[in-house]
Amino acid sequence: MSEPILELRDLKVSITDQRDTQIIKGVDLKIGRGEVHALMGPNGSGKSTLATTIAGSPSYTVDSGQVIFKGEDITALKADARARMGLFLSFQYPTVIPGVTMVNLLRAAMKARTGTDLPPREFLVQLRATLETLKMDESFARRYVNDGFSGGEKKRAEILQLGMLKPDLAILDETDSGLDVDALRTVAEGVNALRTPEIGVLIITHYQRILNYITPDFVHVLVAGRIVRSGGPELALQIEENGYDPILQELGIAEEAVTA
Amino acid sequence: MAETTITTTAGTHAAQYGEDAVVAAATTRGEPDWLRDQRAEAARAFGALPMPTPQLRPWKYTDVTALAIDGYAPVTDAGWMRVQGGTPARGFAGTIADAIADADHGERVRTHLGSMVRATEGKFIAANAALWRTGAFVYVPRGQAFATPVTVTLEAPAEAGRALFPRVLIVAEPASEVTVVLRNHSGDADLLVSAVVEIIAGDDTNVRLVLDGRWGDATREFTTVRSRLGRAAHVQTASLAIGGALVKQTVEGLLEGEGSTSSIRGAALGGREQHFDFVTLQDHIGPKTESDVEIKAALAGASKSIYYGITRVEETAAGAAANQVNRNLLLSGHAKADSDPVLEILTSDVIRCGHGATVGPVDEEALFYLQSRGLDRREALQLLVAGFFRSVLKDVNVPGLEDELEAAVMAKLATAEL
Ligand SMILES: Nc1ncnc2c1ncn2[C@@H]1O[C@H](COP(=O)(O)OP(=O)(O)O)[C@@H](O)[C@H]1O
Ligand SMILES: [Mg+2]
Repeated sequence: MSEPILELRDLKVSITDQRDTQIIKGVDLKIGRGEVHALMGPNGSGKSTLATTIAGSPSYTVDSGQVIFKGEDITALKADARARMGLFLSFQYPTVIPGVTMVNLLRAAMKARTGTDLPPREFLVQLRATLETLKMDESFARRYVNDGFSGGEKKRAEILQLGMLKPDLAILDETDSGLDVDALRTVAEGVNALRTPEIGVLIITHYQRILNYITPDFVHVLVAGRIVRSGGPELALQIEENGYDPILQELGIAEEAVTA
Repeated sequence: MAETTITTTAGTHAAQYGEDAVVAAATTRGEPDWLRDQRAEAARAFGALPMPTPQLRPWKYTDVTALAIDGYAPVTDAGWMRVQGGTPARGFAGTIADAIADADHGERVRTHLGSMVRATEGKFIAANAALWRTGAFVYVPRGQAFATPVTVTLEAPAEAGRALFPRVLIVAEPASEVTVVLRNHSGDADLLVSAVVEIIAGDDTNVRLVLDGRWGDATREFTTVRSRLGRAAHVQTASLAIGGALVKQTVEGLLEGEGSTSSIRGAALGGREQHFDFVTLQDHIGPKTESDVEIKAALAGASKSIYYGITRVEETAAGAAANQVNRNLLLSGHAKADSDPVLEILTSDVIRCGHGATVGPVDEEALFYLQSRGLDRREALQLLVAGFFRSVLKDVNVPGLEDELEAAVMAKLATAEL
């Protein structure tokens, strides 16, 4: 395999304000270029913590281990530096930015990512094309970021940014939840349109649903801050059918111990 | 703080503020008797009135007791104020001096000048009434509208120790419409500005005032804006304070006419040791009147913002609705804000009445969200502050000015201590 786009080495993460609470307890993961990985796991197992830690959230502190992105150790880098290197997180709960339009945000983000201010005309062409792929109305771009958006609109707004920023690694944290079938298909198409042999995708999900549209190469199961199982797409199907209980039982952990 | 930087000796130019000098100057300029008498009365008031002290609630956090207004030499030449606008037939937008030269407009100025803000109300106002040199008069005849906003540009002189007394009178006849923009510029010199704006908004009028405050670092501004609203009149004031060492603005709406609406928006972007002080009054007198106040401050460095506002619903204002909000964003650990929105409801028949105040740091989640899109901390804060000011900026409603002010906000934040 060529050099992975993302590599986590025995990553241990705690909450910055509560350093004695470790959420991620030693995760190893390699995502190669062109690969789609799915990360599944019960509620509270640490999926979002892992995702936002990879993105550089100051709310979490890496106790030990490394995050390697495009061959570079980015463990100590700030979120904005990571993003400019081509890392993108689609938030599980996107934040409202009052008074800042999607266009404002996209222009600033693209400028930061590319280091140049795209001519307005070119920007508009790209914006229209991306909106069309996502079956979104142009008026959407003039609304304030996530302000008064429905759950589905928030997720699409994330994918709109993904489509415009064209990252090298996309982490989608439960981008599928709260979407109806049509919206799910549109979002999945948006992600698929972006896939190239160069980029990596990490899809965090509860359900196998989205994986019907974006076929993963690998599936990992996170339980209580550890990846307890990895496999192919069939692992997602098993979970869809039987839930996490069989895996947990096999590991000798009761469900309560995981979600408590 | 601003008051400690005062270096002027008290009363150096006191003679120019005296009644004799004021009357002599008015006579030299050939001003009509009524105006000369007005100025004489104002000069006497200036001499008799004490400086406001922090014992007075609106001056609680802005102590000017060490400031001597007459330590600043009044600017006597006329060139620093320009008035431009697409005047409709029989309308007027120009200097008060030019208006007085015309019989009809002169009569209007005489009727209204000083009718809303009395020279005897306070020291700063009295100084203005006695010594204003170039005033602006805007008149919209019944049923008319200005094709373009009227721009009143103040270019302060470069010499330090000067006092400017801008005076603006806006008279809108019934069913008319006008937007007036006051653009302020000054250099780095220590200047004092005491401004008075009077707005008479007749029935069914639409009057907008924009205060574009981009003073230099050492300018201190004291402004009073007061409007009287007729039936179903709409008056909107939007003030953006970016420059200056000290900016104190008092904006008042007297909602006399039934169904009139008054909106006051203010935004202050502080840095260094800037000191902002906004005072508002929305006085609901007529029935079914509506008012809205939104004052926002984003404060970097060791800047400070004070807000004190009263929304009063009189017994006569049945069916009134009011909202009053003050929000302060602290961009640095040294910035400070004090907020005191007050509601005084004297009737039981109000539709809705709300008020709120917040003082706090930037939303860390929003900051992380923007940083996760590649914006560094400063860029993220620039975007957040521009968004925070959006509600005020969008009410500016003057072609090009909203973008220009937003660019000014961005530029200031590019170097401010965050
Ligand atoms: N900032 C935080 N403060 C307190 N607890 C947190 C914080 N972030 C995460 N947790 C806790 O860590 C665990 C994992 O959370 P999370 O990563 O959101 O799980 P998942 O995304 O898998 O549902 C949960 O028990 C959650 O309550
Ligand atoms: Mg989660």
